[in-house]
Amino acid sequence: MDYKLLMNTAVLAGEVMLRSGAETYRVEETITRILETAQVETMETVVLTTGIFVTLDNPDMENISVIKRVESRGMNLNRIERVNAVSRRYCAGEMTLEEAYEELKTIKGRQYKRVIYNLATIGVCAGFAPLFGGSWREIAGAAAAGVMLALITTIGKSLHIHGFILNSFCAFGVALTAIILKNRFLTMNMDIVIISSIMPIVPGVAITYAIRDSLQGDYLAGAARSMEAFMTAAAIALGVGVGMAVTGVLRPGGGLFCI
Amino acid sequence: MHLILGTAGSFLAILCLAVLMECPKKHLPYAGIVGAVGGGVYLLSLDCEMGVVIASFLSALVIAFLSHTFARGLHAPVTIFLIPGILPTVPGAGMYRIIYYIMAGENGQSAYYFIQTLEIAGMIALAIFLVGTFFNVLKQIQMRRMK
Repeated sequence: MDYKLLMNTAVLAGEVMLRSGAETYRVEETITRILETAQVETMETVVLTTGIFVTLDNPDMENISVIKRVESRGMNLNRIERVNAVSRRYCAGEMTLEEAYEELKTIKGRQYKRVIYNLATIGVCAGFAPLFGGSWREIAGAAAAGVMLALITTIGKSLHIHGFILNSFCAFGVALTAIILKNRFLTMNMDIVIISSIMPIVPGVAITYAIRDSLQGDYLAGAARSMEAFMTAAAIALGVGVGMAVTGVLRPGGGLFCI
Repeated sequence: MHLILGTAGSFLAILCLAVLMECPKKHLPYAGIVGAVGGGVYLLSLDCEMGVVIASFLSALVIAFLSHTFARGLHAPVTIFLIPGILPTVPGAGMYRIIYYIMAGENGQSAYYFIQTLEIAGMIALAIFLVGTFFNVLKQIQMRRMK
């Protein structure tokens, strides 16, 4: 058995999953399952939100330990599914270790074109408006704010702007669009438009999973995720607040937060 | 009327969110269905004069149950349907309001939304946990029967 390759395969699978936003316990489970196929004496896996630690030992080998730092995390369900499929097939004996490693190395890239992502962003904004109690006017307003959001996201991503600042800019653009629209069509509910248009960037899943991780006894991951959630929320609120303050200053009679 | 509009809206929103989250193409419509049902249950519970927290709990229960069913039927990880599907219920707007009201200087409002967000998130997590346990037990019973 090539222990080194086994280790690399397991860590690579874990890294791809962690990068794609999988929960830490799920990553641990996958790494453990792959390593278990070697049936060694000692094997330990610790996965944190920011890194992977794995060690492997057996009488017929020098022990191997691997530490892998994972810096960026985003949601990518497709990669999680593909890693899952590879690990399942490897553990069932349907593919060799070499094949599994090669297959894992091919898991990268995105599925859709940029246009589709932008259209999807607009769709999210428009779709959430009725859920928050909006009618056709609010849906149209949210869609318009969604166009702004998609535009800023595309520009920001191509310039590699840091997440916190990018979220602030997105929220700023959304608030500005909503306020300008409100001044044109006065019957629109601005609050609904703003809330539904920031839905694509808001940290709802993060806070829910923070509590779920904590319920599961994974306190470190829970704390990391709730911190992430509050940071994202702060970025968004900052953007919206600045947007409102700016238009308040520009419009006579409107002060800070009084539009 | 707003129920139909809301359900259709959540279907569109969740379908699009699933695209943003790179949900595999063949599973996209299922994620949309999970989201639509979740949004519908949420709005229906609100219409029945239930609180936001209970409404979130009920809709999360339905969403988790549907996701597990789809995951078993289509041989895919639950996460693929659960994460996009749970989004209409999840308190993302609440998180934003907590910080927003701190910045606006209205600490009372901020505290109110803080408690509400924690309650909703806790209830959703509990619902996911409950359904997960239920399906685990079901699996073990099946495995014992196979032996």
